[in-house]
Amino acid sequence: MIRYILGRLASIALTFTVVSIIVFLMMHAVPGGPFDGNDMPVNDAVKAKLNASLGLDQPLYVQYFKYMWGVLHFDFGVPFQSPGETVLQLLGRAWPPSLILGGAGVLIGAPLGILLGMAAALRRNTWIDYLASAFATLGLTIPVFVISMALIMVFAVWLNWLPASGWGKPRSWILPIIAYAAIPMATYARYTRSAMLDVLTKPFVTVLRAKGLSERRIIFQHVLRNAALPMVTVFLPMFIGTATGSIFVEAMFRVPGLGAYFVSSIELRDYSLEMALILMITMMFCVAYLISDIIYALLNPRIRFGDRK
Amino acid sequence: MTLLNIENLTVSFPQHDGVVQAVRGVSLRVSPGESIGIVGESGSGKSVTCMAALRLLREPPSRIVADRLELGGVDMLRAGRTQLAAVRGRIAAMVFQDPMTAFDPVFTIGHQIVETIRAHRDLSKSAATTEAAALLARVEIKTPDAILNSYPHQLSGGMLQRAMIAMALSCRPQILFADEPTTALDVTIQAQILHLIKQLQAELGMALIMVTHDLGVVAETVDRVVVMYGGRVMETAPVQDIFDAPLHPYTQALMASMPGRTPGKQRLIEIAGASPNPANPPTGCPFHPRCAVADAQCAAEAPAFRALSESRAAACWRLA
Ligand SMILES: Nc1ncnc2c1ncn2[C@@H]1O[C@H](COP(=O)(O)OP(=O)(O)OP(=O)(O)O)[C@@H](O)[C@H]1O
Ligand code: SF4
Ligand SMILES: [Mg+2]
Repeated sequence: MIRYILGRLASIALTFTVVSIIVFLMMHAVPGGPFDGNDMPVNDAVKAKLNASLGLDQPLYVQYFKYMWGVLHFDFGVPFQSPGETVLQLLGRAWPPSLILGGAGVLIGAPLGILLGMAAALRRNTWIDYLASAFATLGLTIPVFVISMALIMVFAVWLNWLPASGWGKPRSWILPIIAYAAIPMATYARYTRSAMLDVLTKPFVTVLRAKGLSERRIIFQHVLRNAALPMVTVFLPMFIGTATGSIFVEAMFRVPGLGAYFVSSIELRDYSLEMALILMITMMFCVAYLISDIIYALLNPRIRFGDRK
Repeated sequence: MTLLNIENLTVSFPQHDGVVQAVRGVSLRVSPGESIGIVGESGSGKSVTCMAALRLLREPPSRIVADRLELGGVDMLRAGRTQLAAVRGRIAAMVFQDPMTAFDPVFTIGHQIVETIRAHRDLSKSAATTEAAALLARVEIKTPDAILNSYPHQLSGGMLQRAMIAMALSCRPQILFADEPTTALDVTIQAQILHLIKQLQAELGMALIMVTHDLGVVAETVDRVVVMYGGRVMETAPVQDIFDAPLHPYTQALMASMPGRTPGKQRLIEIAGASPNPANPPTGCPFHPRCAVADAQCAAEAPAFRALSESRAAACWRLA
């Protein structure tokens, strides 16, 4: 197990390096630099001076190593679009709304989706199943900005119960979180349903019935535990995937979160911020996969105790 | 007293393009302690009959109809969930064909035997564990404690089938259904497992239903044979009579195709012609397209299953 984790850590380091190189190269391959924007025309001499002051005139590999050296010391540089603070300070300011929005969305949506998926699997081909599946399909097919729009129309404009946008008071968190929860709910509902149905067709379930176990015990102890195996491997990565994908919801509800910076850092060639965002997400995915693989190993005796001799 | 009493059991699987008639009017009575072999070629309805007896088929897709379906005095057609669970494992237990897929992969063998014991008997966990170890010793496992703590994937098929038998017997059932319990195992292990089942059946005085393709297995382990074909019972007779004086043309064809009586090698050899299609069974006697002595009546009307003597019965116009 220790060996396994060490191996995984090494592969995370490798992934991290490869991603950083690719992103760095791609970033600089895109034509234009931070001072080429039309709204802020700068003459060539000034531009060269600015570029030099930021080290942008140096060879790419030097820039890369300089940046990565900083990263190793938790120095992600200064965002060009907001030079008064460091990248870390900007993230510290913009991340909490995104984290609350994404986290609450997943924490509300995922359990609901899992319950929905369980109900659908256990009542397969009844109206419960059809209703749950229709719900899940809607959640996945209706674009999130349409859901956001509908919520704003109904609860903010017509009923006037909740604010339509902003992030100041927790009251204004409610609508974006609901809008955001639709995707994890739908995803987990579908995933849970198919994982459960898959286990329910296994021969050992018939054996459990033939032993005279109660249906409750069969479902909650045996079927769920087996269905959870494939689910844990995707749960955390999916959590992060959904928690970082809140750009649209943030835009719809004018939440001052990370979403806007994803777009602006690319548009403005804000290299330090762009790198920092992508490296962080990469790291989160790597750690999420590592943790879920460890949980999988702990739950699965085949990995814990090696294979048949 | 009758332990298992099936009268006119029909099991069908409605499908979008017709109905698969897996079992078409089977009647079967088993007394306490009796051992029965059900033989018949693949698809003749052997497994479906056993699964229906315990109501283990999912309904839907299956549809079970019977004039009577009683196990240990319980009306299995009307029994509710909890009543069914009380019968399964306690009055009637089942050993399945493939031991490799019969256990939940994420729990130890011990956990799965103990939960069976505790589902039916009021025992503490430690008492049930002691009991489980004793059961494993009883099925001739030499290191019961090691096996209790093993996960299914760590054991061989033969070992798992022994554990499966131990689990099935853990609540002292009155009847054991064994659906091809040795088919998935190595030939050398097959004989050991059969011997074990036979021996335990005698010791515990329970009834046994042994489903098999293998006439050698039947000769070795059971008192009475039920021959199935196309979802119906063709003939039933004491095992000796089946071998020495088969009466039904289908049984006769089976015997003619069988060289000896040792288990393992004497699988049912296919007789000429195709098995009936359960989605579109032949009219009349299901065997008539392959029967050497069939006539117009056989194709038109199905013969009734009728007693020929005190111990024998068959469904054939020639034996009416
Ligand atoms: N779930 C199902 N849906 C549709 N048809 C089924 C289903 N289960 C069984 N059948 C059909 O019922 C018939 C009888 O099947 P059964 O499993 O009882 O045969 P069997 O005598 O046990 O054969 P084998 O020796 O191969 O095990 C077969 O034609 C099979 O295709
Ligand atoms: S009823 Fe007719 S077809 Fe069927 S087994 Fe007897 S003789 Fe053959
Ligand atoms: Mg079968």
